[in-house]
Amino acid sequence: MNLLEYPDLEVLIMQIRNASGFDFSGYARPSLLRRASRYLTKNKLTLPQLISHLEPESDIVFDLMQEMTVNYSEMFRDPDFFIGVKSEVFTYLESYPGLRFWVAGCASGEEAFSLAILLKECGYLNRSLIYATDLNNKVLTAAREGVFTLSNVRTFSENYLLAHGQNSLSDYYHVSYNKAVISREIRKNIVFSLHDLTGDGVFNEFQFISCRNVMIYFTLELRQRVFRLLYESLSMLGFLCLGKRETLRYSGIEQNFRVVDTVLNIYQKIK
Amino acid sequence: MRTFSKSQPLSLVLLGGSLGSMVIFEEVLKLLTSPPDCALIFILHRGKSSTALLPDLFRRKTGVVMIEPDHLEEIRSAHVYFALPDCHLLIGPDRRFYYDLSDKDFFSRPSIDAAFVSAAVSGIPVKAAFLFSGSSPDGAFGMRVLAEKGFATYVLDPAEAESPRMPEEAIKLYHGHRLINRANFTRIINDIIYSNGV
Repeated sequence: MNLLEYPDLEVLIMQIRNASGFDFSGYARPSLLRRASRYLTKNKLTLPQLISHLEPESDIVFDLMQEMTVNYSEMFRDPDFFIGVKSEVFTYLESYPGLRFWVAGCASGEEAFSLAILLKECGYLNRSLIYATDLNNKVLTAAREGVFTLSNVRTFSENYLLAHGQNSLSDYYHVSYNKAVISREIRKNIVFSLHDLTGDGVFNEFQFISCRNVMIYFTLELRQRVFRLLYESLSMLGFLCLGKRETLRYSGIEQNFRVVDTVLNIYQKIK
Repeated sequence: MRTFSKSQPLSLVLLGGSLGSMVIFEEVLKLLTSPPDCALIFILHRGKSSTALLPDLFRRKTGVVMIEPDHLEEIRSAHVYFALPDCHLLIGPDRRFYYDLSDKDFFSRPSIDAAFVSAAVSGIPVKAAFLFSGSSPDGAFGMRVLAEKGFATYVLDPAEAESPRMPEEAIKLYHGHRLINRANFTRIINDIIYSNGV
């Protein structure tokens, strides 16, 4: 296993920026260090070897970015979150004629599909639009296709049942060539698009933003900027969902929110 | 919010384990009669759905502050910390905890290697690191890195481990770890957590 130290990481961040234009300087160092070390180990490279391979448009830059931005997700991840959203958030949304949701940092679409299924089962899907964004074009392409391996889908199905899904997850996909394809009905109200939380601005106003397991990758300073963006993207009384592992602590916007659920970290904008 | 002064002395004691380590962790916690002269950080492999029961269980026993730290929480001396299930816990050079949800190490999240390696490169002095019982090789690499940085490392005598693979792998990867066993356990732990300096 390779061991990188913090000064090595700073060199790597600079080299990646030169080669690709992508800037990791706002990303939390301990996590980046771990993932860069793992990348070297997995690819049997030393740091100088890696740096010598970093050229604009090279596959290795792309590969490394994939490794360093975590793209792992599951449908209905943390099933109790969906139970909480249904009981504590959806009742407030009843009166809106049209609803806009934002899944910020959507990876391959797992969270957006889950949300769409939940909305469908609650009768809101037809008046809802879900914007699902990520900074990684490749994962967005996968998200638009909505194709998952059957072994992934097995986990998703277990999660779905734990989330008190009303049917069977298989009602929302069909199997083709040994893969599960999410049905059109679930995909049609989702817009997947490129958006970098760290650089791009407000693009719409939402009643609901889910940004689970994303903020933990940013430095304290960048995190506060991104929280500001989320705040400005929410309509008054809109909901912000951060998930079990992330609170508004150290966000700089705590005072503008009411805590709806302390375990699931669901907040409502009140000023 | 309380602010934390960088000049306040901080050193870490790291304890890692898996299968068969829970009982040992309890024994360590029983030795805590007053706030320790360090931050004690426990990394235990446990199920995805296990909740914050662990600190609750012990908090009642000892009267020392025990928590599952938040992401970005400042690491404080005289506190006892437990890694959350299903999330890596990293130690940052800015004396804060960081969560990480990337891949598991040896099918484990939290991973002992992830926490130990992050501590080793954090620049924060590590008073000692312990690796107890478990059936996976997680922790062996982290222990070697810590030892090579000059920190004290202790491995449970595999002959006494309920599940010996974890300590065996650590010893295989680095021969210089000290062995801890029934006979010297109490003295070593007490000396480390209540001694001044590193």
